Amino acid sequence: MIRIAAVGDVHLGADARGRMRPALENVGEHADVLLLAGDLTRHGTLDEAQVVAEEFADLPVPVVAVLGNHDHHDDKPVEVARLLSDSGLHVLEGDAVVFEVGGERIGVAGVKGFGGGFAGKCGSNFGEREMKAFVGHTIEIAETLRAVLASIEADVRVALTHYSPVPDTLRGEPPEIYPFLGSYLLGEAIDATGTDLAIHGHAHFGTEQGMTPGGVRVRNVAQPIIRSAYTVYHVEPMVRAAVAG
Amino acid sequence: MTSEPYLSAHLHRAIAEDPRTAEAGVRATVRGDHVLLSGDVACEQRRADLEAVVHEVAPDLHVVDDVRVVSVAEPEGSEELR
Ligand SMILES: [Fe+2]
Ligand SMILES: [Fe+2]
Repeated sequence: MIRIAAVGDVHLGADARGRMRPALENVGEHADVLLLAGDLTRHGTLDEAQVVAEEFADLPVPVVAVLGNHDHHDDKPVEVARLLSDSGLHVLEGDAVVFEVGGERIGVAGVKGFGGGFAGKCGSNFGEREMKAFVGHTIEIAETLRAVLASIEADVRVALTHYSPVPDTLRGEPPEIYPFLGSYLLGEAIDATGTDLAIHGHAHFGTEQGMTPGGVRVRNVAQPIIRSAYTVYHVEPMVRAAVAG
Repeated sequence: MTSEPYLSAHLHRAIAEDPRTAEAGVRATVRGDHVLLSGDVACEQRRADLEAVVHEVAPDLHVVDDVRVVSVAEPEGSEELR
């Protein structure tokens, strides 16, 4: 059994420095790995990224993160990711990490994701350049996610995104804004690759639990939803084998 | 006076885009003379910043502040996925 701690949308800045640290220092008692589902900062500045780095550095378990839209706001996503990587976090954008925990391997593939909407109610890669850029960004990210998930060799495979792969976990948000909260293309990539669990954030007013059309568990771990420093999932490696068999 | 839907839209944008708040997770609901703020923020300072920004955009409205500071406690229990 692998214990996965996860939280998204911590939106840290200098004013919130150190708030999470006491609970984080005990994360090893709850989990084997900690996943951060984006929106680590408020504006994506390097000063805020430094606060994030201090909060999540030197923890007893590996920390794996993707960036969110807020972490892009200052147009320095590469620098923010580098600063966090230099502090020992694994920042993913179109790549994966695999850890061994008690003889079992957990692989995490991470992308930010993007919007577009869900089957039958989504944008199309058509028309104005701006529209094609919007939908094209999601298509590109979903293709990357699919390739990275497929490449992982592990007993438990997790997809980590900021945007949602399903509408289920958005319940509580106005339906009119679903196209800005996620895309079915992410869900399709998850379903095509035998993934065990999908973790995302971004929808602060959504709900925690959902499922892809292919039966993969989805969890929205935005901090306002989980109401704690992080939440913990225990995943049995045989889940996928049992379903597939 | 700005009509209610436009005022709601201005408040929504200000809360999301003003650098002092940059909150995507706070709702502002205008009802007559009142504006209700709801949602979660990362620390106490941000509740005060929110009220200040809202007051600038809509100085005539009475602010009802239901915004909560998000808990950063250790989790109780875990979910078994099998
Ligand atoms: Fe967020
Ligand atoms: Fe977000």
